[in-house]
Amino acid sequence: MAETGRARPLLDVRSISKSFAAVQALNGVSMQLEAGEVVALAGDNGAGKSTLIKIIAGVYRADGGEIVYNGENVTFETPHAARDHGIETIYQDLALADNLSIGANIFLGREPVRLAFGFLPVLDRGKMAEAAKATMARLDFEVDRVNAPVSRFSGGQRQAVAIGRAIYWEARVLIMDEPMAALGVPEQRRVIALIKNLRAQGKAIIFISHNLSDIFSVSDRIVVLRRGVLAGERRTSETDPDEIVRLMVGG
Amino acid sequence: MERRKFLSLLGTSAGLAGAGALPQLAKAADKKWTVALVPGLTTDAFYITMHRGADAAAKALGVDLVFQGAPQWGVTLQVPVLQAVIARKPDAILIAPTDKQQLIQPLKQASDAGIAVITVDTFIGNGIYQTGSGDADFPLSYVASDNILGGKIAARALAKAIGDKGKVFVANTIPNVSTTDQREQGFKEEMKSHPNIQILQTQFNDDDANKAAALAQAVLARDADLAGIFGANLFSATGSANGVRAAGKVGKVKIAAFDAPSDIVDHLKDGTFEIAIAQHPGEIGYFGVVAAVAHLTGNSVPALIGTGFTVMSKDNIDDPNVKKYVYTG
Amino acid sequence: MSTLSTPVAASRRTTLARISDLRAWLFLILLVVFFEIWAEVTYHSSFVLNPYNLQSISVFATAPLLLALGQTLVIISSGIDLSVGFTMGLAAVIAAHVSNLSMDALGLGEIPAMVLAIAAGIVVSLVPGLVNGWLIAHLRVPPFIGTLGMYGVTRGAAYLIAVGATVPIHNSAYTWVGNGKIGELPFIVLLTAIVVLATHYLLSQTRFGQHTYAIGANRDAAIRAGIDWRRHTIKLYLLSAICAGLAGTLYTGRFLAGAAQAGEPLLLDSIAAVVIGGASLFGGSGTVFGTIAGALVIAVIQYGLVFIDVEPFWQFVAVGVVIIISVLVDQSQRRLAGERQDG
Repeated sequence: MAETGRARPLLDVRSISKSFAAVQALNGVSMQLEAGEVVALAGDNGAGKSTLIKIIAGVYRADGGEIVYNGENVTFETPHAARDHGIETIYQDLALADNLSIGANIFLGREPVRLAFGFLPVLDRGKMAEAAKATMARLDFEVDRVNAPVSRFSGGQRQAVAIGRAIYWEARVLIMDEPMAALGVPEQRRVIALIKNLRAQGKAIIFISHNLSDIFSVSDRIVVLRRGVLAGERRTSETDPDEIVRLMVGG
Repeated sequence: MERRKFLSLLGTSAGLAGAGALPQLAKAADKKWTVALVPGLTTDAFYITMHRGADAAAKALGVDLVFQGAPQWGVTLQVPVLQAVIARKPDAILIAPTDKQQLIQPLKQASDAGIAVITVDTFIGNGIYQTGSGDADFPLSYVASDNILGGKIAARALAKAIGDKGKVFVANTIPNVSTTDQREQGFKEEMKSHPNIQILQTQFNDDDANKAAALAQAVLARDADLAGIFGANLFSATGSANGVRAAGKVGKVKIAAFDAPSDIVDHLKDGTFEIAIAQHPGEIGYFGVVAAVAHLTGNSVPALIGTGFTVMSKDNIDDPNVKKYVYTG
Repeated sequence: MSTLSTPVAASRRTTLARISDLRAWLFLILLVVFFEIWAEVTYHSSFVLNPYNLQSISVFATAPLLLALGQTLVIISSGIDLSVGFTMGLAAVIAAHVSNLSMDALGLGEIPAMVLAIAAGIVVSLVPGLVNGWLIAHLRVPPFIGTLGMYGVTRGAAYLIAVGATVPIHNSAYTWVGNGKIGELPFIVLLTAIVVLATHYLLSQTRFGQHTYAIGANRDAAIRAGIDWRRHTIKLYLLSAICAGLAGTLYTGRFLAGAAQAGEPLLLDSIAAVVIGGASLFGGSGTVFGTIAGALVIAVIQYGLVFIDVEPFWQFVAVGVVIIISVLVDQSQRRLAGERQDG
């Protein structure tokens, strides 16, 4: 694994172990992630992909091993702690309030407030709309109706809103769980473009996918897990789907 | 007297010999009767006053009185209470049935178990008992105000107050409640002999004073020359009064109120209400118990006992003989 | 990369959505026009330009509207509050007793007694609100069940405290609150208007309102965004109870007596007003603006049909029909939105 020996990765996950009751979900898994890099996490069901990202996101705590983030040894007690450090997770259900606008979703829980008539605190909808427009533009998603509820948008647009929320709050690491699942083909292409765009902006991205063509179309590196252990790690440009499948099934 | 004493002695000795050994004799004896009163609801001043009347009769006659009911009006609430009361095997049950039909079977069970059933205030079937026909004629007696008569009395008093001419309407609560329907019926029957009085459409308010107020105002918007309103129950009357006040027509539109709790009676003098028709719930309770004891001691009782009304107005309300009929909780 | 929606589809949707959002006001306008024409033709007078009718209808709508305002907040958060009717009754009875006690036992004047009575009624209403919120937020009792339980508790408490009767008051200051006017404007209408404005502000202009919508649409999303939904839920049920408490204390002033059953017939009207006003019982949508129209629609139908002298039972039919139409409009527009999302 010569390629991981570079200067200092943004995220360095070292020999993580985690078990649930008698089941060893992860056993000494290590992986690194650099800014401006897209890593695909591959593996069969039960390989430990979800457990690994949930440990990074602060949902679970590891039994053993350590996480070094931005040069510091960190332990995230909650998802909020991880988010405060700039590690955002975008789950499959996107966690959007469908009845609210893009701006309101971006700011959900931390809405900006201004004073009307000099004394009455009111929501700063202007700021939210501006942020929505700017953020979506940053993702190359133009929206004509910033005040429409997100339920009116397509699956890919909603995916973009969820990502937009993460990058508005200056996330440096984006963890995406099956971002292309449940999308039509044109929408999948747009999300792939979106991920490339984020990489160009220097974000570090980990994504889980079952779909090898998605993995090969967007990732820089592929980390393969099998039954809770690291089965292999390849540069995408130096491998092919057959090899990845062999790593996944242990052939 | 001699016979009573004899039976009483026999009863006592039977009790000593072993309870239940001579049930027939014990029952015939001058023992302490138990009478249960099951009101339509326990939290209403009307039934509370009825309870007091029943209590007075029970004390006078040396009877044990049990008062058990649901806090709210309703068949599903009343039937379980009734069944619990039946399980205690009282000698007689006085009940204000919350439904004409749905209480027939539960009360039939009581009757079949040898408990004398008397309905008070409300009735089952058509309220005509002991005729030998129909499935709801088994109660011994129906003790109540004659609501049709009450409606007539209200009509007469209201007609007089408005100078025997003009438009009036009945503010009523919910359609198909036996007592309030009868009041309306009596009111309309009496008004037939007052040809210069025009009766407008009845307005139903769901027993909601707020709605009763708005309906009175709407009628006034259409018929500004409205002369009188008959409020067939408490909220129909107080709600209508509020509507009339909001329209600035206090005193111009006369209101006859059926029932007489203090919030109506207190406003006779200021002209809000012209008259209040007080039923005598205490009388209903008293004569209910009397009828039960009469039956239990082997006397016959009338199948219908009508109790009286008192018409209250600002002129007579200070009379203690009138004032005592104000319902108090 | 640009949006996928074609402009045509987008504009069609928006128009439909707008109509749907405003449907309660459309109903209201239709009703008023209908009654206006009838009044002009039959009575040669105006229905709507008659200050007396406007006063009557607005006073009529105050109590159901107050309950509906609290209900709007709760329903948006995908809850429901079935206890408002008897919370109102409880507050009415408490306020009447406190007014009487503070005058008779404490020797207070009418105005302090009135202030104390209204304060007491509202403070007491906090108890069912708090219990509702706690049951739903902390014990995870479904709102329908939790508030149904409190419906029973408040009902029993109200009847027990009233001791089987309405509780008359003899306080002209308090009576003025319920029946007085400032110029031509009934005081309770003014007071209700203030509560309407406050609720509208809360719901549409504050973070609190925003979080209410978010919780109603996707509670998990709200939680992940760091919103404390438990505290928020308790606050919502407290607000609903306060609205009911205020309605109850005003009832006592208006009808010169507190009654345990004061609010019982208003519960369904309050829910109907919210639904006609455009809220979904599944949560996430609804506005104060819509609820006002919903409450007015119900009041205008009932008042208007009496005004034009229609057989009274048609009132029930008419309100029922409006509720059904309202829900159908909501569903068809939702279905359209759904189709677009899938397509």
